[in-house]
Amino acid sequence: VSYKSEEREKTPRWVKVFGVIAAVVIVLLAVLLIVGGGHGPSRHGSSLAAGVTMPR
Amino acid sequence: VTLAPGLRKLVFTAHVVSSVGWLGAIAAFLALAVASLTSDRAETVRAAYLAMELMGWSVLVPLAVASLLTGLVQSLGTHWGLFRHYWVLFKLLINVVATILLLIYTQTLETLSDTARESDHVLRSASPALHAVAALLLLLVATTLAVYKPRGLTPYGQRKQREGIS
Repeated sequence: VSYKSEEREKTPRWVKVFGVIAAVVIVLLAVLLIVGGGHGPSRHGSSLAAGVTMPR
Repeated sequence: VTLAPGLRKLVFTAHVVSSVGWLGAIAAFLALAVASLTSDRAETVRAAYLAMELMGWSVLVPLAVASLLTGLVQSLGTHWGLFRHYWVLFKLLINVVATILLLIYTQTLETLSDTARESDHVLRSASPALHAVAALLLLLVATTLAVYKPRGLTPYGQRKQREGIS
């Protein structure tokens, strides 16, 4: 059987929706990281310092 | 490479167990994270941070790595392939991103645990709960994709399909 058609399937709608959601989440996280001054233990450490404390 | 039927089922079982186990372990982690935020007992809060660090290395990381590795073997050893179907590709991306973020986050868990162990005051942080909720959402999406297997071939998958037909 020969398959001559080079027509491509259209990208499914769910893939486009997923792609848009992923892009929005990545941009939001990037903005949060830039505004918040990075990520990682040091950042969490600094946020801890401002957190609620409880005596031992 | 095509796996023999028996081996394929074994890898598939390992993939389901590790992936769903990872999801369940994060739910348990979330319960500890919520307890660390809401409990008014210092012992409970301190114990929650220690337990979360322990869970990170002894349960979450092994399950995440097992899920990723068995998923790779399962994809490459069957007709699904790794880059042919959009749902497989999305699952792979989710798994890789979640595993990398988890490995990075173990450092934060260590910091929180050290503070809980050594400080006279227990310090609360919303970070573990937020990360657990995000991880749960990601893995629920991955599980849903695995169950529904929505249609859609990538351009690479379409090319491979044409090569297979001609």
